[in-house]
Amino acid sequence: MSHEPFETFAAVYAVDALDGDDLAQFEAHLPTCATCQATVREAQETLTRATLSMPPQSPPPTARAALVRRVAERRERRSYGWLRWAAATAVAASAAAMFASTQVAVRYEARLGQMARETAAVRERLARNEAALQEQVAFYRGAVELLRDPATRVVDLRGQGTESTATGRMVWNDTAGGHLVVAGLRPAPAGKVYEAWTIAAGAKPAGLFAVDQEGRALHRVPPETGVKVFAVTLEPEGGVPAPTGPIVLASK
Amino acid sequence: MPTPGVDLIRAMAAGDRDAFARFYDRYAPLVFPLVLRIVRDRADAADVIQDVFWEAWRGATTYDPGRGTPEAWIVMRARARAIDRVRAVRRRGETFVAPVDEAAMAEPAGPDAAARAQDRQLVATALALLPAPQREVIELAYFAGLTQSEIAERLEQPLGTVKTRIRMALARLREVTPA
Repeated sequence: MSHEPFETFAAVYAVDALDGDDLAQFEAHLPTCATCQATVREAQETLTRATLSMPPQSPPPTARAALVRRVAERRERRSYGWLRWAAATAVAASAAAMFASTQVAVRYEARLGQMARETAAVRERLARNEAALQEQVAFYRGAVELLRDPATRVVDLRGQGTESTATGRMVWNDTAGGHLVVAGLRPAPAGKVYEAWTIAAGAKPAGLFAVDQEGRALHRVPPETGVKVFAVTLEPEGGVPAPTGPIVLASK
Repeated sequence: MPTPGVDLIRAMAAGDRDAFARFYDRYAPLVFPLVLRIVRDRADAADVIQDVFWEAWRGATTYDPGRGTPEAWIVMRARARAIDRVRAVRRRGETFVAPVDEAAMAEPAGPDAAARAQDRQLVATALALLPAPQREVIELAYFAGLTQSEIAERLEQPLGTVKTRIRMALARLREVTPA
């Protein structure tokens, strides 16, 4: 490659407009070429002179006041400001190495570690919330889909016994299955779980579920023909093939 | 005889706050028009100025006189920061039209002549001495932060033409702004 293209690249690079392969080529070339370094420098000085040919205009005085105040702050504060900035950039690692022997580094590393832990915790919480939300959205979308089918019926479940304030609603379709929404049900005690049942000739297990802190649950039930009654019982953890515990919710 | 800029930066590197104040007073009014021209909003421009000079204070130790004048040092920082701000706005998806100065492109004529002349005064810079096609590419690259490919697309010109125009524009600018 002749040097000529680089002279053009140098000009475009100086106005910060070089991109793609040209940029990659030029950035590989620039450190090795004093001519191009001089060209870029000269172009930058030219652009600077062109810029300074605009009529001067003072920024609002508040900008100066804020800066003077910032600069006047105690030296420690200045370090903190700098560290915050460093933490936000890739310079952080090398900066930490530079200051490794000072007390600043100790505080800095402690802060960085804390930030990393906080970030990880936030990220985890967000991921969990997002997964839960998506699950809910999918559930409701499924229920809405079901409701479009004229064969779909909505069945109310009433709380029974000690859970008389609990309520449930089943959106049911014989061929697609059901979506059960539960509210006001106390979380199952330790070692226990709620189990749903579809009852036709006999009771058939329809899955296990838990309720959240507010006593709510969304639960999907597999399809079954000829179901007459829906029920929920409290069962040992792991569930059982036939109901053994107290009924907490049942349809009429 | 005012203290040379190089000495001010050296003093800043040593922690001299008074030197910083003098540096600010000398250079802020010179770079503010550039920043304002790029970000187009006085409050935003004031923010950028604060960032630029704060970084200059912090980064004074890294200044190398062999690599450029103090003017270029602060102007390049200011331009980069202002473009960052504009690009961030663009990334947020706000409809942002790259600020090509139409008034500077057009010849002042007709009923809007007075308004245009006023705009023109703002940009009565060395740029005004460039032929329109060259001025246009410098506008888009230096003041709007577009890359060569973006400029080619926007002007519907071949990439090679854009590159050549930029190079010619810089050569011409150099003639009209002797060091």
